Amino acid sequence: MNTDIHALQLLERDLEAVATRERERLASVERAHDGGGPGAPRRPSRGGRGGAHAWGGVAAALVAVLVLAGGIGFLSQGGLGSNDGPAQRASVGDAAGRDAGGSAEVPGAQASMAPAPNSGPADERSTLESADSAGSRASLDFQAVQDGAQYSNWGVAQGAEQASGSGVGAVPTQQGDLTKIIRDGRIGIVIADGSFSKGVSRVTQIARQNGGFVLESSSRDERSGALALRIPANRFDDAMLALRGLAGELQGEVELQDISGQDVTAEFIDLGARLEILQDRRDLLRSIQADATSSGEILRLAALIDDVTLQIETIQGRLKFLRDQVAEATIRVEVRERDVQPEDPGPDAENPSLADSLGLAVQGFLRIVGAIVIGLGYLIPLAVIALLVWGVVMLVRRRDHGAS
Amino acid sequence: MVEERTDSELLIASRTEPEAFTEIYRRHAEDLLRYFARRTLDPETAAELTAETFAEAFASRANYRDQGVNGVAWLYGIARHRLGRFFRSGRVEAAARRKLGMPERDLAPQDYERIEDLIDFAPIREALVAALDTLNDEQRDALRLRVIDGLGYAEVAEHLKCTEQNARQRVSRGLRKIALLLQEQGMQLTTEVEA
Repeated sequence: MNTDIHALQLLERDLEAVATRERERLASVERAHDGGGPGAPRRPSRGGRGGAHAWGGVAAALVAVLVLAGGIGFLSQGGLGSNDGPAQRASVGDAAGRDAGGSAEVPGAQASMAPAPNSGPADERSTLESADSAGSRASLDFQAVQDGAQYSNWGVAQGAEQASGSGVGAVPTQQGDLTKIIRDGRIGIVIADGSFSKGVSRVTQIARQNGGFVLESSSRDERSGALALRIPANRFDDAMLALRGLAGELQGEVELQDISGQDVTAEFIDLGARLEILQDRRDLLRSIQADATSSGEILRLAALIDDVTLQIETIQGRLKFLRDQVAEATIRVEVRERDVQPEDPGPDAENPSLADSLGLAVQGFLRIVGAIVIGLGYLIPLAVIALLVWGVVMLVRRRDHGAS
Repeated sequence: MVEERTDSELLIASRTEPEAFTEIYRRHAEDLLRYFARRTLDPETAAELTAETFAEAFASRANYRDQGVNGVAWLYGIARHRLGRFFRSGRVEAAARRKLGMPERDLAPQDYERIEDLIDFAPIREALVAALDTLNDEQRDALRLRVIDGLGYAEVAEHLKCTEQNARQRVSRGLRKIALLLQEQGMQLTTEVEA
């Protein structure tokens, strides 16, 4: 080209190279579509894609949409049905025999395992003992009935407020820094017939004694029910022990106990660091804004400061939420009288029979379909809006082109 | 061989015959560079915007429809869009060049003066002088020597006791900043009629 501007000469060379590459790409696409049949001119399609590729693209897009919809549906349902805590957990004393003392631990209690009389295998029973600082000791014994064979004997000290945790399992035993752990507990208690009302009032009392409250409760026929307690985190262990004690008090037993802890220390540190950086950035922007001379610059900096402030407030909100969560633990208590049948727990997902497997598979499939339907419910209105916006953009562009 | 096809025909042909696009480039590259230079006042930015505009035009040439719209008007439509984005963000994007695997090149020393020759400072000299105060000392001195006093870069560098390349960069950055400022103030940087 006739120019002495070096940049334009280089750009011409770059564009020629791009054109050559594009020519080769088109030729290879053409060859692939012709399948070796020369002489059969094919109508060039946009983007050089043929019918098979187009259908492949449509199929891929469809799959992507379904996966996306499934993902959205899954998230909107808060997962596919598991209420388990995401982090560390341990199970204690399952009277149904599934975890009969197998990996037993009460966080916060100094625990030791010792063989008990009537012993079955050593890991099917345990005795947990702990002592408070004054050395006083209170034991709670209960019998876990399982086909008349398995037996558990627990000796647990009450009021061991600062006892350090140890034992089998992986529950958050780092008692030194419980402030960064969100704790959840679940306990199922079977009590003597006719004592449901008393049991519920005792659970309420235990919540109050430990500085907490009953968040929600429900009952069936005044013979079985469930309560959700919110307990200050530092009283969580005491509350759990008292609830275990309740079983003995009402001639019952603990049929399940589940404790989980979600360690959010790393998130705390991360959020704290980000907060500090953002606050520094905001200070810096404000100082630059103070020195700015043009209104345009001031406005641009104001927008940046707003953006950073929004991020700071988001992080502060999340930190507050986490602090609230770690400050109070949730304990779900299920109470039922002895002759009330427990709710059907459903097939044992860890060891299912063939029929159970089929049932689980059907359930899983239906859940996925349900999640996809929910996800599509979210996506379709968005798609309609996107389509409208796209249409408007295309119209405006076409009008601009026409005008110029 | 002299290419006799119109811009519109070349753009349509370039879908299956990509080399046809380079003819479009040869016809309009310098005009487009001038278009950008007069609006951004900055040789570096003008060169970058020119490259990005042609890259985007090449990448989206399949979207061109011959609906009575001249091919060059379509090209300047893209250019206006690029320029608007530059004035909004203060920077030139390189997405289209990256997509095509084109390198982002620095401006050669001799190109600064050559591209500045394309800029007509006369209509905006007054506004330019008024805006000098918004620059830092280095940029202001460099710009005054180069644009107001009309010295060559060798002399500017000598006055400022820096390298020629450094002098070019100070002028370039200063002009870019002033162009953005004048744009914000709604000042028309050129009186030429757009294509």
